[in-house]
Amino acid sequence: MTDTLTQNRIETLAPTEHISLEPPTTDKRGYIEFLLDLLVDAGRVDDRETALQALLAREEETTTGVGIGIGIPHAQTDAVTEPSVAFTRSDDGVDFGAMDDEPARLLFMILVPESGADDHLAILSTLSRALMHDEVREELYDAETPADVQAVLKEAVA
Amino acid sequence: MSSELERVVTVVPEAGLHARPAATFVETVTDADSDVRIAHATDDDDDTDLTPAASMIAVTSLGVEHGEEIRIVADGPDAAATLDELERVLTTPEDELGEENATATDTDATTDTNA
Repeated sequence: MTDTLTQNRIETLAPTEHISLEPPTTDKRGYIEFLLDLLVDAGRVDDRETALQALLAREEETTTGVGIGIGIPHAQTDAVTEPSVAFTRSDDGVDFGAMDDEPARLLFMILVPESGADDHLAILSTLSRALMHDEVREELYDAETPADVQAVLKEAVA
Repeated sequence: MSSELERVVTVVPEAGLHARPAATFVETVTDADSDVRIAHATDDDDDTDLTPAASMIAVTSLGVEHGEEIRIVADGPDAAATLDELERVLTTPEDELGEENATATDTDATTDTNA
């Protein structure tokens, strides 16, 4: 298994402008669009509509609400220029249709170009592995700035 | 203890153990009366690497790709049947898995009439 999500790479994948701690109160679709817009505003997405359709198609297949309060909407699409990760959180939690019925409070988005299948799976699995640790989730709940979030992620994948 | 069984299975779906195959896998584990844990089969059969398989995030964290082998350990009264069903999930191409899901969602009993 390739493990390409290194500490150094977090800054490229998830610069602080991909991280917002001030999301709107909305539903699952709203959070997906909010995360996508972080990447659009950062210049990572050429074609917002194509990226959105790819993300929604993936949700249609089965939810990316992976349980324990985490949602990781993701897609492979050439609408994104390079592998990118965005983050926000929901204090109240948002229904992501997870199997354990727990509302999602920590929300990540992963977008990777079509050619990056291995990268896509590596980012998704490394992030999932990190988020299984209670203390990583607690630190993400407690983070006060985007830089804090980025620091937690760097530490978590170390 | 004697009820613990294990099997190594090669993952067939093109996208690996991800998305719908992963969800079907976890649902099968959740429906079973046995405890199920999984690991990459390359992990020298070290039990400390086994991850509980009843959780989407745990299964996602393994990052199992198409063609990789995973080791499944089931412990409980229906261990053998559970391994059979999980092997079927892992060896069914993704498009066919979707079709089966569509017809078998509310009928657990349809699985194997001769089981």
